[in-house]
Amino acid sequence: MKDKVAVIGVGCTKFGERYDRGYEELICDAAFAAYEDAGIDPAAIEAAYFGTYMPGPHGGKSAVSLADALKLYGRPITRVENYCATGTDAFRNACITVASGVYDVVLVVGAEKLKDRGGRGLPRFGHPLLARGNSAPGLFALGANRYMHTFGCGRETLAKVAVKNHWNGARNDKAHLRQEITVEQVLKAPMIASPFGLFDCCPTTDGAAAAIVCRPELAKQWKKAPIWVKGAALAVETGRPFFDPTFDYLGFRSTVKAAKAAYDMAGCGPSDISFADVHDCFTWTEISNIEDLGFYEKGQGWKAVEAGETALGGRIPINTSGGLKSFGHPIGASGVRMIYECVTQLRGECGERQVKNARLGMAHNVGGPGAVACVVILGNG
Amino acid sequence: MIGITKLGSYFPRRRLDRALIGKAWGGKASGTRTMAAIDEDALTMGVEAVSACIGETPAAGIDALYFGSTSAPYLEKQVASMVATAVDLPREIVTADFAGSVRAGLGALRAALDGVGAGSLHAALVVASDCRLAEPGGELEPQFGDAAAAALVSRHDVIAELVTAASVSEEFTYFWRTDEQRYVQVADARFGNQYSVQRDVPDAVGAALRKAELPASKVARLAVALPDPRAAAAVAKKAGCNPETQLVPLLTAEAGVLGSAEPLVLLSRALEGLQPGDFVVVAGYGEGADAFVFRATHALLAHPPRTVADALAGGIPVASYERYLRARGVLPLDVGGELVPTYIEWKELKQDTRLWGSRCTACGLVQYPQEVVCMGCHAPGKTVDHKLRREGTVFTFTIDNLAQVPEHPMPMVVVELDGGGRIYLQGTDCADGDIAVGKRVRLTYRRLHQAGGNRNYYWKVRPA
Repeated sequence: MKDKVAVIGVGCTKFGERYDRGYEELICDAAFAAYEDAGIDPAAIEAAYFGTYMPGPHGGKSAVSLADALKLYGRPITRVENYCATGTDAFRNACITVASGVYDVVLVVGAEKLKDRGGRGLPRFGHPLLARGNSAPGLFALGANRYMHTFGCGRETLAKVAVKNHWNGARNDKAHLRQEITVEQVLKAPMIASPFGLFDCCPTTDGAAAAIVCRPELAKQWKKAPIWVKGAALAVETGRPFFDPTFDYLGFRSTVKAAKAAYDMAGCGPSDISFADVHDCFTWTEISNIEDLGFYEKGQGWKAVEAGETALGGRIPINTSGGLKSFGHPIGASGVRMIYECVTQLRGECGERQVKNARLGMAHNVGGPGAVACVVILGNG
Repeated sequence: MIGITKLGSYFPRRRLDRALIGKAWGGKASGTRTMAAIDEDALTMGVEAVSACIGETPAAGIDALYFGSTSAPYLEKQVASMVATAVDLPREIVTADFAGSVRAGLGALRAALDGVGAGSLHAALVVASDCRLAEPGGELEPQFGDAAAAALVSRHDVIAELVTAASVSEEFTYFWRTDEQRYVQVADARFGNQYSVQRDVPDAVGAALRKAELPASKVARLAVALPDPRAAAAVAKKAGCNPETQLVPLLTAEAGVLGSAEPLVLLSRALEGLQPGDFVVVAGYGEGADAFVFRATHALLAHPPRTVADALAGGIPVASYERYLRARGVLPLDVGGELVPTYIEWKELKQDTRLWGSRCTACGLVQYPQEVVCMGCHAPGKTVDHKLRREGTVFTFTIDNLAQVPEHPMPMVVVELDGGGRIYLQGTDCADGDIAVGKRVRLTYRRLHQAGGNRNYYWKVRPA
C-alpha cells in the first residue's frame, strides 16, 4: 500500500444541524469541493466508494444515492457500511482499488444526515432481547467506568478531553460546535450515561466529506501537491464485547490490531506520527485510543491529557480538527472528514490550528464499540 | 408424611406511601403498600417467589407447577408453563393455572397436596402471585399490595405436615372483574363481610378442625387471608380462636392486602418460631373459603423459611403517585420495542429464557450467548450447552438516561456470573449506589417491553 496511492483532492461541508441542505445536496457540496480542490473534471472519476450508515431518503441500502446526486452513472460504486469506521473503510477500499491497478482515479464520499432521523442519536439495531437497553454513550461508558475504576482517573480528566477538542473546534469554521468550554461546564452538564455528561458526548450531526485518490503515476498533474497513503488497515473484533469473559474493557483490540497493521504497511511506529485525528465519540474513547494506537502505554493516556501533551503544540496533537466532540459525528462522513483534516494539515493549510512540521498524520475510527477499527496513515513526503 | 417442604415469599422492592395516594385523592390511609415495578407482573413475581422458595436451581423430582393468580398477565396463554420454563424445570411436568378469585393460591395448594397425597405427583411447586389493580381514587387502591409466594409440596423433609383440609363454596358477588373490566370491583363491603366472609371462613376452618379432631384452643396460630383486614379478628372469634394470641397479624400496614399470595405469606409468617407438633391453620376467602390444618415438624427447626420481615426488608420508596400509575399502565407509556418473533423465541428458548450458555470443551470457558466457536480459544465446534448461575459480580456498568426504556436513570450492567460467563443486562430495583464495580447482583426475570400486542420477558439484574 505504501506510496501506491495519492490523495489529490479533498472536500468537506460545514458540519452541524444541516436542515438547510438535503442528503444528496450535502454529497454534492462535498464532492464538488473535492473536484475543485483537485482541479479535476468529474468525468475522470472511474469508480467510487460511498460511506454512509443510514441510507438517505431515496437511496435505500445501496450506493445509488451517490450516483444520483452526482450523476456518476455507468461506473462501479460500492456502498460501505461498517459502524463508525464506515468512512475510513470506504477510503481504505478506494485505496485498495487504486493500488491494485484496476482503476486510476477513484472518488470517496462519506455522508450522513442523522438529524433527519430525529434528535436522539442513532436508531437501534440488533437482538430484541439480548443487550436491549443499550445506547451508544452507554456502551462506551462500560469501558470508561472500568478504566476509571482500574486506573483511578476521574471525570475531570475526561472533561479535559472535551475542553481541548472544543478549543480546537472553536478555531475550525467547518466544525459543528464552535464554542470553547470549561471543565466546570462539562462536569455540571446533565448526565447522559455515567460517567458521560452531555459535554462528554459528541453531537448528533449532519455533514459530508469527499476525497479523490489516484495512481502515483498520475499524481502530479492536479492543482496541489499529492498527499501519500502510507497505510490503511481495518480490524474487526467481537460486536458483543459485553459478553466476552476475556475482555478487560480497558481499550479496544480492534484499534490495536488495525494500528499495528497500518504501522507495518507504513514502515513506521507511533513515535513517527506528527498528529492524529482519533475517534473521540466520547471523551474517554480518546484516552483509550491514544493508548491503543501506541502513543501511550495502557493506563497512561489520561496522564498525558492532564499534562496537555495532546493539545495543539503538545507532544502529539490529537484531534486538531476539534474531533468528533466538536466537529461533529455524522457516522459515514466522519472518517472521510478525518482524511480531509489529515490532508489539509499535511499541506499546511490549517492556519491557527496548523501542526508545525507535520510529516505523518493519522485518521482513526473505532465503532461497535470495539467491533471495528480503521487506521489510515498519510504523509506529505 | 405429606406437606410443605419449602416456603418463600417475594415482595417487590418498591413501596408506595399511602399518603401519596391521599394527597392525590384525599383520604387518610397510612403506612405503605408494596408495588410491583413497571417491569413486574404476577408472572415475574412468581418466578422470584420460586427462587425465594427453592433457590436458583430446582431440585430433581419436581413434577408439577401450579400457578394461582387473579391478575395473570395473560388470559389465554399458560403462565405456569412460563414460570416453569424461566426457572428451568424440565418439560415433562404437569402445569396448570388457577384463577378466578384470591383463593386461586389455596386452590393450587390443595391440588398439589392432593396430587402428592394420591401418589400421582412426587413434588409440586405452588406459586401464588398477585398484582391486582384497583380503580385510581377508589377505596381499594390504598388497600392492595403486590406480592408472590411459593411452596414446595412433597413427602420429604416436610416442615409443615398436612393434617386436614376443608372448603366451602358459595356464589356471592363481593369482588369481581369481568372480562371487560380493568379494575377490581367491590360490592357493599359491610354486607359482603357479614354475609359471606364471616360465614364461609369460620365454616371452612371449623370443618378442617373437626376433621382433625382438634379444638380451636389447641391451634398455635391461625392465619386468615381476608379482603378486609378489619374482619380478621371477628373471623378468629367465630372460629373459636383468640385474636390476641392466636391470630397471625396481617401485613396491611407495611404491604397491603396481597390477593392470592396472602395465604402462603401468612402461613410462612405463622410458622416462624413454632415448635415441632404445633398446629397452624391457614385459611382464605373468595366466594367460599379454603382452610388447611398443618402441624410443624422437626425439619422446620432445621430449615426454617426466610422470615417474612426479611423478605420485606430493603424497600425503596416510590417518588410519586404518578409513578405508581405509570408502573401499572394506567398512565400509558409507549417506548417502542420490537417483539421477539415467535420463531426466534422458540429457537432461543434455552438461551434466552432457561438461561443456558455454552462451555468450551477445549479451554473450559463458559460463555453467553450460546456460541459455535469459542469466544476465548476460537476452537471451532467444541462448545456444549451449559446452565448459567443467576448470581454474580458487577464487572462494569453505566447508569443510562438515553436508552429507550420505560424508566430513567437505568443501569446497564456487565456481570461476571458465579461459575463463569459474562452477561450484559438492564438493571432494575436499584437505589443510588447499588450498582458499582464489584457489587453483588442477582438475575431477575422481568417484563422487558411490549410491542405488537404482546410482551417480551427477559432477565435483568437487581441488587443481591
